[in-house]
Amino acid sequence: MSPIPVLTIEDVAALDGVLEDFLRKTEADLTVVIDRGGNVISQFGDMDVTDVTVVAALAAGSFAATRELARRIGELEFNALYHQGNGTHIFMNSVDEDTIMTTVFGRGTTVGLVRFYSAAAAQRLAEILKSLRHKTPTLNLAPVSSAPVFVDR
Amino acid sequence: MSIINYASREIQFKIVYYGPALCGKTTNLNYIHQRITPQNRGDLISLATAADRTLFFDFLPLNAVVIKGFVTKFQLYTVPGQVIYNATRQLVLRSVDGVVFVADSQWEKMEENVESFKNLADNLAQQNMPIDEVPCVLQYNKRDLPNIAPINYMEYVLNNGKRRLQSFEVISSTGQNVFASLNAVSQVLLHKFSKQDDVPSPAPPPVAISIESPLGQPHSAPV
Repeated sequence: MSPIPVLTIEDVAALDGVLEDFLRKTEADLTVVIDRGGNVISQFGDMDVTDVTVVAALAAGSFAATRELARRIGELEFNALYHQGNGTHIFMNSVDEDTIMTTVFGRGTTVGLVRFYSAAAAQRLAEILKSLRHKTPTLNLAPVSSAPVFVDR
Repeated sequence: MSIINYASREIQFKIVYYGPALCGKTTNLNYIHQRITPQNRGDLISLATAADRTLFFDFLPLNAVVIKGFVTKFQLYTVPGQVIYNATRQLVLRSVDGVVFVADSQWEKMEENVESFKNLADNLAQQNMPIDEVPCVLQYNKRDLPNIAPINYMEYVLNNGKRRLQSFEVISSTGQNVFASLNAVSQVLLHKFSKQDDVPSPAPPPVAISIESPLGQPHSAPV
């Protein structure tokens, strides 16, 4: 399956619609859709909870690392992972072979509720992502300057 | 693979620092983290052992505005260099957009450099990414040590593919040419996504940008 190079405003709105509905039903704080390389595809919720970019990188790594563990017991991979904290928790579930959904939640809800609604949300996300992958991306970016991108202070 | 998000006006690129064990990959990220303006970077995340050896990866997110109207997010990763961690390197390489290969200039590390570069090519090939098509620059690191191989020798053993790569003499501990190599791989990536008609093709890669050269003023070393 190929990755998604370009997300239009409409694509993001469709994904956000699923995530918004998921958060409303579960009362979780934040949910992030990431690819397995650690890139953020879409996010919804309280962005002050954490640095989404870092969570995406670590979640992708965590999911990948447990894949080998799953193989040892005859599974292709674990479909879902749950990291329990004292007050805040993370639930991750597979959307499709290229994508993971990561949800951060606290005392306002339960892992059972998050797990229950995440299955339906993942299915809807997978359908949207599948349709996006069949679109031909159109790029219309401004030209790039040859100046250094990063400056050493 | 990069993601271009027209809703949030963001472009994401993943750059991986690759190379043999103890060649200076984490030192590169540490220097960049220290020296870049804080508002343009996130936290440096290191998943390392108690002895500071990279166990999974280091991760440093950077922001820049280089394409009008878009925030460009560069996600810098390192891999664990130790041979036994190849499965981890394969995971970190997933969806990579650009590579900085960090070679250790010491004579006794040359075999490890070659082995690691071949390992990089093999791991990219597993993702159906021929190494000759992936934006990549070479760092010849630790040029301040006494027992180092000459640049022309390093070019001979590492920069001998179908495509000549841009290469840099680097001292990552003091930061010399660390930003030059990061900027070089960033420019190659960005040009892939700009309007091809409007942008002149980048100049052919020079051979080994030396430490003494001012940034952006490369000179050719004998090969």
